[in-house]
Amino acid sequence: MDPHRLEAHRRMTRAVALCAALIAGAASLPPAAAAQAAPAVLVQAVRAYDDLDLDGAAGLLRRALSVQGAGALAPADADRAMMYLAATEVLREHSDSARAVARRLVVANPRFRPDELVFPPQVLTFYEGVRRATPAVTARAPADTAIRPGAEALAVRLYASTVHDVTATLDRDDGRVLRTLYAGPVGDSLDLHWNGQDSTGTAPPNGRYAITVTSLDRQRRAVRILRLPLEVTQGRVDTLPHPAPPADSLLLPERQSMKPALRAFAPAALAGVAIAVLPSIVANGEDASGARFVVGGTVTVAGLVAFFSHHPGRSIPGNAAHNRTLRDTWRREDAEVARRNAERARGMLGIHAGAPVLITPEAP
Amino acid sequence: MTRVVVIVCAAWWILAGTSVVAQSKWQVSFGAAGGQEIARSRIGTTRERVSGMVFGGEATTSRGRFVARLRYAQGRVTNDTAGRDVAEGEALLGYRARPWLTVWVGPHARTFVVPGQSDRRWLLWSGRVTARGTLFPGRVTSFVELWQGFTGSLSRPAESVTGGGAEAGLDLRLARRPVWGRLAYRIEQGRAGSIGRRETVEAITLTVGFDR
Repeated sequence: MDPHRLEAHRRMTRAVALCAALIAGAASLPPAAAAQAAPAVLVQAVRAYDDLDLDGAAGLLRRALSVQGAGALAPADADRAMMYLAATEVLREHSDSARAVARRLVVANPRFRPDELVFPPQVLTFYEGVRRATPAVTARAPADTAIRPGAEALAVRLYASTVHDVTATLDRDDGRVLRTLYAGPVGDSLDLHWNGQDSTGTAPPNGRYAITVTSLDRQRRAVRILRLPLEVTQGRVDTLPHPAPPADSLLLPERQSMKPALRAFAPAALAGVAIAVLPSIVANGEDASGARFVVGGTVTVAGLVAFFSHHPGRSIPGNAAHNRTLRDTWRREDAEVARRNAERARGMLGIHAGAPVLITPEAP
Repeated sequence: MTRVVVIVCAAWWILAGTSVVAQSKWQVSFGAAGGQEIARSRIGTTRERVSGMVFGGEATTSRGRFVARLRYAQGRVTNDTAGRDVAEGEALLGYRARPWLTVWVGPHARTFVVPGQSDRRWLLWSGRVTARGTLFPGRVTSFVELWQGFTGSLSRPAESVTGGGAEAGLDLRLARRPVWGRLAYRIEQGRAGSIGRRETVEAITLTVGFDR
């Protein structure tokens, strides 16, 4: 074969092998690698936006926002990505798309405000217009709290996207309204207070409830409903931890162990058996004298005496008293904690708040 | 063979008495024993059984892990038609490998004296193992001793012999007194191969002793 063609053939073979190795390597990358890329994609997208590569930035931002699960953007990064996407669409003069993205951002985080040093005035003006036209609230409440109905109150802070009217009610799990908590305008934020009573002035029974905040538009139509689930428990609020029962390592054995008794009996038993059995081993074929059983019996009886002298299984009064003292002390402390908890919990209402849920998002 | 064993035992004894146990104290114990002994002889199909009382003494000395024991007893064993004197003894060197386990080596001899005949002496060089267990700490222990003769001789007729034996029983010590007692059962058998002779001896002995 021509040497030049042979060399070319070799190079081609090497190139194919290298490509195959690269493809195999790429295919063997874990799926997490793609998921982990969301923050990196956001960085690329911001760089593209700064370079005014708006088409590229839009594509990268949508890709970063589409990642779900463990590799998804953190809430703050997601807000930032949506703002950059809205700005990109404004600059690309895709106003419908920009409005939809901005509205999505307002609903997700009514408190979000774009950085005036990053985005141009036209973008800031656009976002401000969308925010004002998109009434929405979010709520923050302590996860677990206990109140005395009528005397204390659960505080829930509402954050609004813009000034608008809201109604806030306490509902049963099935949606029936127990009490109206507030009806009126909300500006930047508003503290809702529930004193633990329904409209008749009584504490509701144990169960699941929700604080429902309905955002109204200028025509007083409900545009968004936010539900903050609550779990209410009466009189079962342990504020003091119960003491742990005494550890096994602190308790002494209350009965004599069998081990020392068996350890004392075993040598005697072995010697007794040896006396009975050894003649047939040492002097096979001879009839050994029955007198050996006198010695064997004596050894065995001594072993039995040694066994019972250890009193196996007998209670040890000193240890039992020591353990009783420990247990009694623990019981007393536990009863005292229970009593003090009951005293503190008398008439108290335990409230566990879940994560707020936006159940009627506005159609874009 | 006998000479080799003697040399080995002597070397061991010298070692035991010099450097290895130089920092330990000597402990000595003496005892007097008495008991019932039954001796059965069998030559082919001929059997003879004699029994009687034997009395003797023993001395034990120990230093560190090394122990030496001497025993001697004599008496007369008879039956309805015959009787003979018996004398027996042993000299053993031991090493306490564990607190509960001692290994021994040394000669063991028994002589039957019949009037009008020369003595018949059984001599066996033996290796032994003694295991002890505590029933009441410091007060009562049980023990089992097994031995096997690895070479031996019979004086009449002159013959090489083999044999083995066992002893088991109970040791008692008085509290705060150096006095002890032992109840033991012993059985041993010597065999002279070519003439089919077997000599089996059983004994129940009671020993009372004291420690110095």
